Amino acid sequence: MKGHMGKILRLDLTNLNTKEINTSEYEEFVGGHGLGSAIFFDAVKDKTISAFHPDNVITMMTSPLCGTLAPATGRIELNGISPQPYPTEWYSRSNFGGRFSAMLKYAGYDGIVIEGKADKPTWINIVNEDVEFKDAESLWGLDAWETQEEIWTDVSGNSTSVDEREWYQTERGRDEGRTTQKPAVATIGAAGENKTRSGAIIHDAGNGAGNAAFGSVWGSKNLKAISVLGTKSVEVANPSALLKSREWAEDNYNNQESDPKPNWGSGVGAFGGVPGAEGFGNIAEEQVRPQGCVSCHRCTRKRTESGHGNESGCVDFLFYDVHDEQKHGGPTKETAKAGDLSQRYGINVYFLEEGINYLKHLHERGILGEGKEIEASLPWDELGNASFAKELIYKVSNKEGIGEDLAMGLPRAAKKWGRLEQDLNSGLLGLQYWGYPQHYDARTEVEWGYGSILGERDINEHDFNWVVYWQVSLAKLFGRNPPVKAEKLAKIIKDKTIPYNAVPNYSNEGIYSKNMAKLVAWHRHYTRFWKQSLQYCDWAYADFLNPYGPETRGITPEGETRFFNAVTGKDISFKEGMEIGRKIWNLDRSIWALQGRHRDQEEFAGYTYDVASWGPEISPHANYEVPYYMPVKEDGEWKYKNVASRSLDKEKFNEWKTKFYELEGWNTETGRPKRETLENLGLGKVADELEQKNKIE
Amino acid sequence: MVNRRDFLKGIAGGAGAAVAGFALGSLTDTIEKAEGRSFEEIKTMVETPPSEAYLLVDREKCAGCRSCMLACSLAHEGKENLSLSRIQVFEDPLAGFPDDLVQEQCRQCQYPECVAACPTGALSVDEVNGNVRLVDEEKCIGCQRCIEACDQINNPARAAWNHEDEYSLKCDLCIDTPHWEENGGPDGKQACVEICPVNAIKTTDQIPVQIGQKGYKVNLRGKNWEKLGFPSE
Repeated sequence: MKGHMGKILRLDLTNLNTKEINTSEYEEFVGGHGLGSAIFFDAVKDKTISAFHPDNVITMMTSPLCGTLAPATGRIELNGISPQPYPTEWYSRSNFGGRFSAMLKYAGYDGIVIEGKADKPTWINIVNEDVEFKDAESLWGLDAWETQEEIWTDVSGNSTSVDEREWYQTERGRDEGRTTQKPAVATIGAAGENKTRSGAIIHDAGNGAGNAAFGSVWGSKNLKAISVLGTKSVEVANPSALLKSREWAEDNYNNQESDPKPNWGSGVGAFGGVPGAEGFGNIAEEQVRPQGCVSCHRCTRKRTESGHGNESGCVDFLFYDVHDEQKHGGPTKETAKAGDLSQRYGINVYFLEEGINYLKHLHERGILGEGKEIEASLPWDELGNASFAKELIYKVSNKEGIGEDLAMGLPRAAKKWGRLEQDLNSGLLGLQYWGYPQHYDARTEVEWGYGSILGERDINEHDFNWVVYWQVSLAKLFGRNPPVKAEKLAKIIKDKTIPYNAVPNYSNEGIYSKNMAKLVAWHRHYTRFWKQSLQYCDWAYADFLNPYGPETRGITPEGETRFFNAVTGKDISFKEGMEIGRKIWNLDRSIWALQGRHRDQEEFAGYTYDVASWGPEISPHANYEVPYYMPVKEDGEWKYKNVASRSLDKEKFNEWKTKFYELEGWNTETGRPKRETLENLGLGKVADELEQKNKIE
Repeated sequence: MVNRRDFLKGIAGGAGAAVAGFALGSLTDTIEKAEGRSFEEIKTMVETPPSEAYLLVDREKCAGCRSCMLACSLAHEGKENLSLSRIQVFEDPLAGFPDDLVQEQCRQCQYPECVAACPTGALSVDEVNGNVRLVDEEKCIGCQRCIEACDQINNPARAAWNHEDEYSLKCDLCIDTPHWEENGGPDGKQACVEICPVNAIKTTDQIPVQIGQKGYKVNLRGKNWEKLGFPSE
């Protein structure tokens, strides 16, 4: 397929050698997550091993679109068994943006498969076809930023200062090509090195794959960093169609500097969001620029004058700004510095967000502290200053003091303290699905919670979230009318969610309906292919509503197919892509079945059923939550309604699960895929393995 | 011979402005550049008529997405490769704004060292197309003297090397873009300008100040940019 480089690099850390896979062997899975799951399935014979077992495999996969002008396709997908979920370490996923995926393709590879375990700290240097296992003794212990600076200089012997940079020619001479670019380095910090369950993989200043703790798996494999530098070309099937499509997208769907539309849900969401909207920076009165990953059309992050908070976005600073504001009366550079620390130590910020809130609750109740039931020495007077964040991050990353327990992750720490069940039932500890912090609330924005519990992690997919929650709720919060009426929003979503035509009805009845099953199925299949396999960024896709689009309609589903077909030369329809997504979703579901997944486990934390979601006051969990105004259809009328103060009915949720399993062709007793379903998707081999392991009925 | 573009420019007064700029810059520049050169080289440079358009960039506006580089490589070469782009953007992600990023574009130099250095005439001034300095790939023998010459005055060199098809690359303001349907050249469109999502690249028909960077690195920010929370000064 055009857009592919044709080779996937296998790195065997145990034997320090490399092999290659022809990408064409897995072409039906196209890229990213699909490639990762298919390769993982073949490479890991026993799927029940623990995340830190040397036989666990981490895949890093690009897509045919990475490194091309297809807008917002600068990410790389990581798959493998994750140490983060609770109670089972599910096969999981994560991804990060920046330059790494593009540079890996320019080096000639569609992906990397990391296998085995090195006997001492190692980093990998990839310069086109030259792949070298290097001693990382001197890098071990350096933070993620220091490590990259060392490697940048080591690889290309060039100044890191942009004003002194020269063309770099590889040792192979002029026929190998030259580049002005720094090597793209992915690395881990102390949280990964020391095998906490919150270690992230960091690239450049602020790109991180955090919410699966794959950085800790790297640490367990003694892998400190991978550096890539390349000068090869990505072949494009139809260059003029790609250029034309990009111009079409920028002219018709991207934000226009001459016509900013700030009332559209703060301009954060989806394809037409304004530059820099996600990033921290000018809130703290610093001069900033917007900053984007390779090929981005909207460039949503920032770099700052002081360099503090560079490329940190969203939860990278939202985990701390509420404490900063409470201490200083408004956001200051302390938040940006706290974000920097999370990048340097390579630690999952969702863990920090819920962790700080939980520790604070326990401290305030006199349960946690010096000489208390849970012994902990933390500088609470400093909460809101970066120094508190540093103390906590240092302790967790180095497993010191209270950090020794917290390094196990919040669910396992709470279990050790004998508090897990009671705090999950009361909601004091907001881990809603698989021990993951509540990101958006399963009680109100159900597609987020349902998708997470049917999967393996906090989905972190904002496809519906921008339009059904943020744009509406922010408008209500600031006394404005939402950009479009509920009926129009529902119609647009129905039209665009091909082929299931889902209706976003978040009423008390709607959330248990077959329609909601269709919406969640669409979401699972859409993200598995179009986003996680092709690497279309979550900050731009899906695009349902767009302030610049014709009749405010977004670029989905036309854009996704148009760019893909221009690059690959294929002529697939959006529906065909959705079917590949369904296949990948079923493959993942089969891997979870092999890991022991059963429908009975697919239950939210107790508070989801027993406690009403919070009302108008500040959320005790996710620091950014505002009241949930959502589209509902009641008595035949569409409207936006505040659905806060709702809890889920456990029995009705279980009836809904049955509807969902039926829709997916899964066994309703066990929740596992049926043979017939897998065979129809071309996954007969997977069905055979399930049968061998007694996981198919 | 006066072509259509010259004629139109003459009416608009543009040709007069261009000639004035050429004359103003010539004396000091020529003296400075004359040292160590052969007579033929100097003659080539001085006799070269000025390009009718120049790319300008705004270092403080650029968002580092490399879309310009991808567009340049795609429109000209039909494939995606940052090494084949005639405009280069590079960053130090850890540095503070604005020292974290530069864009380096071809300057369509008034006294083009690359043209003077080319032994085969592959690099020449296209008088039919607004005097843009460009490479005839068929004539290029791959000696890379143009790149070396550019490297003497620009850091890094703006002329690049296509190692896959073995010829020199330099900005032609999109005159020769077989993979792009738009018309390029000084009066047409440029792929990098069109694709840049934050409007951090534009063209001008006024000759930029040749000495130093200021003529080419300009402020393309305005009130709307300021409204988005970014500095305009």
